[in-house]
Order: sequence, then C-alpha cells, then structure tokens
Amino acid sequence: MLNKLGDIKSNAQHEIQEADGLSVLESIRVKYLGKKGSLTEILRSMGSCPPQERPALGMQVNKVRALLEEQLTRKQEELSAKMLELRLKSERIDVTVPVEAPHVGSLHPITAVRNELISVFMSMGFDVAEGPEVETDYYNFEALNIPQDHPSRDMQDSFYITENLLLRTQTSAMQIRTMEKQKPPIRIICPGRVFRADEVDATHSPVFHQLEGLVVDKGITMCDLKGTLDAFAKKIYGSDTKTKLRPSFFPFTEPSVEVDVTCSECGGKGCRMCKDTGWVEILGAGMVNPKVLSGCGIDPNVYSGFAFGLGIDRIAVTRYKISDMRLLFENDLRFLEQFKSAL
Amino acid sequence: MKLSLNWLKKYTDINIPVSELCSRMTMAGFEVEGVESMAEGVKNVVVGRIEKLEKHPNADRLQICSVNVGDRIVQIVTGADNVFTGALVPAALDNSVLPGGREIKSGKLRGVASDGMLCSGEELMLTEADYPGAGVYGILILKDDCVPGTDIMTALGRDDCIIDFSITPNRPDCNSVLGMAREIAAVLGTEFRLPPIKYASVSQNINGQVQACVENPVLCPRYMLMGVRGVKIEPSPKWMQECLIAAGLRPINNIVDITNFVMLETGHPMHAFDARDIGGGRIVVRNAQDGEKLVTLDGREHELSCEMLVIADADRPVALAGIMGGENSEIKEDTTQIVFECAKFKRDSIRKTARKLGIRTDSSSIFEKGVDAGGVEYAMKRAVSLVYETAAGEILDGAIDIAAHDAVLERSIKVNTADVNRLLGITVPDEAMAEIMCRLGIETVLNEGVLTCSVPSWREDIETSADVAEEIIRIYGYDHIQSRPLKAELVIGEKQRSLRNADRVRNYMAETGGSEICTYSFISHKAEDMLLLPEDDERRQGIVLLNPLGEDYSVLRTQLFHSMLTVLSTNFNRGAERADLFEVSVLHRSKEQPIASQPEETMHLCIGQYGVGDFFTLKSKVQGVIELYNAKARYAPSQEPFLHPYRQASVTVNGKKVAVLGQIHPAVCKNYSLDTQVYAAQINIEALLASGEKTVKFTPLPKYPAVQRDLAVVVDESVPVGEITDCIAKAGGSLLKSVELFDVYRSEQLGSDKKSTAFSLQFRSDERTLTVDEVAKVFDKIVRSLEYKLGAKLR
Repeated sequence: MLNKLGDIKSNAQHEIQEADGLSVLESIRVKYLGKKGSLTEILRSMGSCPPQERPALGMQVNKVRALLEEQLTRKQEELSAKMLELRLKSERIDVTVPVEAPHVGSLHPITAVRNELISVFMSMGFDVAEGPEVETDYYNFEALNIPQDHPSRDMQDSFYITENLLLRTQTSAMQIRTMEKQKPPIRIICPGRVFRADEVDATHSPVFHQLEGLVVDKGITMCDLKGTLDAFAKKIYGSDTKTKLRPSFFPFTEPSVEVDVTCSECGGKGCRMCKDTGWVEILGAGMVNPKVLSGCGIDPNVYSGFAFGLGIDRIAVTRYKISDMRLLFENDLRFLEQFKSAL
Repeated sequence: MKLSLNWLKKYTDINIPVSELCSRMTMAGFEVEGVESMAEGVKNVVVGRIEKLEKHPNADRLQICSVNVGDRIVQIVTGADNVFTGALVPAALDNSVLPGGREIKSGKLRGVASDGMLCSGEELMLTEADYPGAGVYGILILKDDCVPGTDIMTALGRDDCIIDFSITPNRPDCNSVLGMAREIAAVLGTEFRLPPIKYASVSQNINGQVQACVENPVLCPRYMLMGVRGVKIEPSPKWMQECLIAAGLRPINNIVDITNFVMLETGHPMHAFDARDIGGGRIVVRNAQDGEKLVTLDGREHELSCEMLVIADADRPVALAGIMGGENSEIKEDTTQIVFECAKFKRDSIRKTARKLGIRTDSSSIFEKGVDAGGVEYAMKRAVSLVYETAAGEILDGAIDIAAHDAVLERSIKVNTADVNRLLGITVPDEAMAEIMCRLGIETVLNEGVLTCSVPSWREDIETSADVAEEIIRIYGYDHIQSRPLKAELVIGEKQRSLRNADRVRNYMAETGGSEICTYSFISHKAEDMLLLPEDDERRQGIVLLNPLGEDYSVLRTQLFHSMLTVLSTNFNRGAERADLFEVSVLHRSKEQPIASQPEETMHLCIGQYGVGDFFTLKSKVQGVIELYNAKARYAPSQEPFLHPYRQASVTVNGKKVAVLGQIHPAVCKNYSLDTQVYAAQINIEALLASGEKTVKFTPLPKYPAVQRDLAVVVDESVPVGEITDCIAKAGGSLLKSVELFDVYRSEQLGSDKKSTAFSLQFRSDERTLTVDEVAKVFDKIVRSLEYKLGAKLR
C-alpha cells in the first residue's frame, strides 16, 4: 500500500510539473484527488489493511493529499499568471495611433476679457452688477450732468426709441442707479453692452462693451483713483506697467482724466502701436462730479468718489492684436476657436 | 481746432520747440491730434543773391553764378536763362533737402564745380498762387525785401506750422486763436496780449442807418450791430490773408475777410450786410414763418419753418441766424455801406436748423459749441478796429446792443483751498492755487485759505470747488498725484445672481463644445419674414429704433434665432464642416404698445448646430442646461413656424415655457442659404433661474435599498415616450423613484404601427425595506394604468 502511495505521489508530482494548461491541471486533480481519484481509492481500500496499520496509512495519505493540493494550487497560480501574460501580450495596441479629442468650445474674446477684468476688480473688493440696455434719458444723460442742450450730447450720437428712451450710450448710467439704491461705502463695477450711432469700420462698431467702475466713500481722493487704476493696469498689462493721468472732460466727473499706460508692445520706448509716444490710452476716469453726488442724495461735503469706464472690446483688440473690430461680431469659427485657451 | 503757430505767437511768446509745446498742452487738457509743418524736412535751402554771372566754358546753355548766401559766396551752375545779376533766388546748398525730400549735393557740371542748385518754384513745390513767379519756367525770382542767407521757408512765409488741438466740449472759448493763446500763456507762464481796441468814429450814428429789434430773446440772448460807411471793397492786407489761408479759409475781400478773421481770432462768428439791401432800414431777429424762403450765400434756396431763427428786414429774411447770410444782402463789389452783426444764438436752435437744412458752416459749428455773450462787444469792436486800421471805411458812431438781462454771466465764487486738496489727495500750496487761477484769466484773491474767484463770462464751466480743483491740477501737473492703494474696511466683492447665472451657462456651453458668438442687438424687420413668422406673431412687435444706422439694424431682437442662423450661414458658406455655437444675450419686450417705458430685458441662451448630430444631440445639450438648475423639464411637440413641424419641442418647467428646440425648417434654411440640416434652441435662462431654489438644501441619503424592475410594453407608434413615462410616474406614486427608457424596438411581428418600449424602474421607500409583494402591487398598478390609458400591452 505504501509503495502504491509512493508511486501515486511521484507520478502526480511529475504530472503537475509537466502540466501546461489549467484544464490539464484540473484533470490531474480529478485523476488523483477526485471522488474516483487514485488517492481517494487508496483511502477507500484501507479496509483491507490490518487495523493497526490504518492510522499510519491514513496519515500518510492525508499528507500526500495536502502536498498535492498545495502543489496544484501553486501550479495553478503559476499557469494563471502565465496565461494572463499571454492574454495581455495578445492585447497589445499601438499607442502612437493619433486620436481626435472631444470637441472643446470657446468663450468669445469679449467674454474672456470681461471675465478677466471682473476677477481683477472682484479681488479688490468690487461688487459686480448689470443694468438695463434700454435706458431713460434721465439715467443716460440728465442725472450724469448732461443737460438737454449740452454739447457733450454731440460727442455721442445715440439710438433713440422714443424721445425719452434710448439704447444706453455708456455704462455710466449704472452709477446713478447704484447710488440711488445704495448708500456709501460703494465699490462696484458694471460691465455691459453699449450703443452709439457709429458707422461700422475697422475701429468702430455701433455695439460695444464697457466696464464702469464707481467708488464712493469718505475721504476718497484722486490718489485713490490713481492707486486703484495703477493696480488694475499692472494686473492686466504686466507688473512693469506705469500709468499716467492726463486731463480730459466728462460731464459727470470733475476733475476728469484719461488714463494712459506704458505701451505693452514696446515697454514705453515708442512703436507703431503707441504712435511713438510710449503711452496708450486705456480708459477715462475722474472724481464723481459733486452735482451728480447730490443729485443721488449723497452729500458731497461728506463723501467723495471716483468713477472710471473702460472699453472691453478695445482691450480685447489690443490684447489679442485683432486687426479689425468687425471680426469680433462676424463670428467666423476659425476666429472663435482661437480663443479656446482663454476659457 | 487747427491753429497756426505764427498766429498764436502774435498774442503770447512761444519760445519752445513745437514738440514740447504739444506735449505740455496735452498734459494741460488740450490733446494735440496732429501737427502739420510746411517746412518739415526742408534743410539748407536759403535766399541767395546773384553777384556775378559767367558763361560756362564747355556748355552754351549753362551759366556759372556767384551767389551770396549771407555768410559767403558760393559757385552754382544753372541751366535757367531767367537769372540776372542782383536777382534774389532760392539756393539749395550742399547737403540740402528740398520740400518733398529731394536731396542736393555739391558736384560738377560739365567740368565746373557747383556747390548746390538754384531752385524753380516747382522744385520748391510752390504754385503761382503760393508765391508770385512760382509758376514761371525757370528759377524763382524772390521779392526784393528778401535778405541773403535767410531760410527759404521763412522768406516764403511758409515756416508756419498748424497744430490741431482737440478742444473738449466744456471749453468752447478755446475754439479761437485768442482762447488757445490765453491757455498757452497760462501753461508756459508767459504774458498774454489781447489786441487793443482802437478806432475813431464819424459823427453819423448807426441809428440813422438801421433800427433793430429781437423778437425772440431766448434763441438770441445778445444781438449787436455796428455800421461802416465809405467802404471800398478791395483785397484785404497780406498778413490777414496769410492768417486766413493758414486756417484753411479763402480770402475774399477786405470786409468778408475781417469777419472771418475776427471769427477765428475771437471765436465769435460775424456777419456783414450790405446796408442798401436792408429793407426799411429795419433788422428783426425773429422766427421764420412756415414756408418762408431764403436763398443763402451758397446759392441754395431753403424753405424755412417756424422753429428756425432768421435775421429779417422789414419785408423778408436776409440771413439764417448764425448759419449763413442771404444772397439778397451779401457784400458786393460796389457795396459802400455795411452793417456788422455779432451775436449769441442758442446752440441747440442753431444745431437743429443746420441739421434740418443740411448746412454746416464754420459759423454754425461755433454757435453749436456755444459762444460767450460777454465777448460779443469785444469781437465787434475788434472788427471795427480792423476796419480802422486797414482804412476799409468810416465807422459810424454808437452801436445797437440788445441783450437779455441774464445773457452775460459774471460770477464770483468762493472755494476753500482745503476742499481742493481734499479732492486731489495732495497739498497744493494756497499761493500756487491763486497764482494758477490768475494765470488762467480768472482773477483770484486768496484770503486765509479761501479763494475768491471772479469767473469771467467765457468760463461758464467753473462753478464748484471740483471745477477749481481741475483747473489747478491740470496746470500744477497730474504727475503730482500719488498712487495710493484704496483704503476702506475689508470688503468682499460679490457678483449679481443674474450675472453668475449667465456666466455659468456660458462656461457650461463652452466646456461641452460650444463656441460663443457675439452679435448685434438690433436686426432687420426682414428677419420676421425669413423666419416665416405669421402676421400676428408677437415677435413681430420688436422695439423699433427712431434713428437706426439702416434698415438692417433697426429693430431690437425678440428672438435670437435670426442672428444665430446668420452666423451659421456665414460659417457654412465659408466651408466650415461643423458648427456648434451659442450666444447669451438679452431679448427686449415692450410692456405696452406703443412703447412708453423701459422694456423687459430677459437673458436668453441660443444654441445653433449643424454637422454635429441630430435633434437628440441638441436635446441633450438643452437637457444639460436644464439640469444645471436641478429643474424637471417636460418636452412636448410644438408649432414654431420656423422649425420642422415634426421635429420640434417646447420645454416647460413648473408649467412655464422656458425653451423651444428643433430642426430648422428647410424653407427657413433656404432663406439663410443653409444647405444642410440645422438645429437650434432658445432657452430663457432667467426663467430657469427663477424656477430653482435660491439656496441648496441637503436631503439625507436613502437608508433603505432600492428595488429594480424592468418593464416592456407594446404601444401604438403614435404614443410618445414622454406620455408613457408620465403615465408610469403617476401610477407609480411615491415609491417609484425613477423611470428610465432603455430600449425602443420595432419588428414585423409587433406590427408596422406598433413599437415596444422598455423601461427600467426603481422603487424605494424612505421608511422601510420594500417587500417583493409591495413592489409587485405597484408594478401591477402601473401595468394596468398603461393598458387602460394608452392601450399598452405587457410584452
């Protein structure tokens, strides 16, 4: 019996060693350890052994079974690993084959610039609000110290709807709406679409976009105006940018200034873009006219403020070096898709 | 305002280079838009006198000239035969540059050295009109008073330069040579010299020549007349002609030139009437009668209306007030008696009349900007002083001067220097403030921190301390303003909810493949026909502009489809294979007809696509937007005229219509030259925002497991999936948490007008684990409901 067990053991071990597939391994298991397997057979035939030999023999059989089971498991793992390897190998792909990316859209350059401006001013604590595009004469002109026959109404020919209603010519109308609603301290920007009766050409559009800013508080001076717009210009045009105030005129600010920044193209040395001056005009600003403040119920003896207005389209045009403003409104996909990264 | 530098120099000393003058004036509020210099680039061309003439040894047609050029004698060979000993001629020396850039160097002509070239008028780019003799073939022979060695452009009177100052609307006083000279003097700190008034009059009084009355003092706050007799019409003096030519005006005769000269010099337009033509010796400033006619100086006949102001005699209009004189009273060759007019007319009256009649003159544009009533008298007296100075006639005694009581405003204001500094944020010394104001012609006295300013009538713009602060800082210098960070309590910037909403939608659309477009807010009425909108469609009631740039830009949008289809068409016809576009913009809707108040402005999203998929590709985008708001949308077939009748849907959220989507009707595509299948949607994102909760509320996660059941039913082809889903949801009650379609199947066995739809249902209770029986009961109810309501059969 023991001899037979020895043979079974060595045969089985040999067969396991030689097995080259999981199915072969399974048939080996059935052949030796299955219900009708040779090892099971020995256990069954133990009855014919003398009783005193049975425990020892039983122990031997179980030892062989444990050994074989362990070897079978090990072989199975080994074969599985090998097969997985083969499968993976068969699944090899050429990773250099080119693919098409999911289609990514784009924000319009005006939106992209607007978003950037908004985030700069929000980080300085400005609120952001929008106002109506169709304004009344009062908010667009009169409350901004532009009376009926004032010559500055000549500066901007407006689109009228009725005698009293028009498409706003400036986001400045929102200064009044803000000050009527809110008491100082006020710190707000108002981006929006504005309209002027300009014929369409490379540098003019009857529809364009502005961003208006307004700060009203106790003790606001021209130095605050310069400081704020300095910080803004450095953020938008680079930290080396310098700003310069130049006198100008707007009926709703007094004193009024144009703000020039050092030309981002040549760094102030003078080039074609800045007409050899080294400076580029970016916005109009000024101290809120005391008449405008008191018209909104804010005492100009207690409070002062500054306001500014800049052209979003113009910044977009200079920022991206767009040669013709009409491109902004033509919406050719080959144009639009260039602004994917501006998201 | 284009001004001659030489003319400005008559009233103040300008001893700095033009470029420095320009930058200093720009920094004082008068931006220089351009400088034209006649002598620009011209170099080393001087007046020469021919001292000796010799024959050229090797060429018959050439002569050798010894030319005195001031500091030396040079030898120049010329081919011209009009030169003679003693002639004064333009000599271009070695290394010289002629007008137009031609360079001249020393050389040899047929073996004889020539140190330059004598110039013809043509070579100096002159015509006979610029200088007598310039048109002659040969060398230009200069006038006898020229001095050898003088720069040629100076000798020719062409050394002037014209500076174009941009004058802001608050400074109409600077639309004149004197006004700008006063500013320049203030900026440079030089003396300002107002030309003195000097004339003598004869004993005859103007009242014997003409009577006047102003019927409408509102439109004509000041009206002044003076008379001149013994006028001899002839050309004006050369210096005056030169000033006019430099300003771009054509000299006409002494009287007309004086009116133009005074207009440019003082900023007060003037007019001269032939006294013979003033019927009844009476001048009336009155409104025109409707239908009254007047032929103006330019020969055009105008039909007038009653809001226009005219200058009339006893019978008829003789001038269009402030705009142009009448042909019937113009200055003629044989005019001997004239009446000068100088006045202030109301600016918007002039503007409206000039626009209506389509006339624009120097006079009208000055009046439109506003003239100073206080300056009328000086201008008038300056004109007669010029008559006196040039002996153009004898000045009648006295003047007619009709002024409304409030026509001339001279005010005195008091300003605390502390208030000025409070606005500027710096400390300008009190004395500096007072000095600057005085330099600007505003007499100012400083007394213990208070500036008392006598504001002259031409400075209507100065009223408050802010106005004074501006005057001070623009002269004191904006470079004194320090940059200071904004000081305030810590504040957190916040974005309006509607803005956040639009931004979120834009970002979502762009990140899911859309390209944003930006189009005009106004479109053509034609859009309504192109979109096949029926006559009674509300979208035909767009708000109309009174003064559009043209019909194509005349009406505010009531829908975004037209702009979108136009852009899609542009791209399609330029060969773009696919387009996935979107726009976020407001639509305007009048609250009443006709419009009387600010309209509703509602933010909308429009999506437009071709070449990217089908109706369901578009629907998935629309659904994506709706899910941003956590909203439950119902889609139902709709009837938009511009969409495919069987491929369109309206979307409602909480019973409110928020969107429409579909395939564009082929007939509409044709109107936009879109030869492809186009899909578009318009979504009211403001309504969507309003439908949702303002703040997010957290719902606890479910504690009990869900049970999944699949359901397949056969229905008639005509039954929409949406109805089946609704029916299931209704029958399923609160235990049914979701219904999802996962298959639609058609086959011959089912029959041609049938379809099988399969749904995956999820049941769950928030209170307990559902039993098999409970689920079966609800499932049964659903099946029965489907059978009863939709004739569905369980598969």
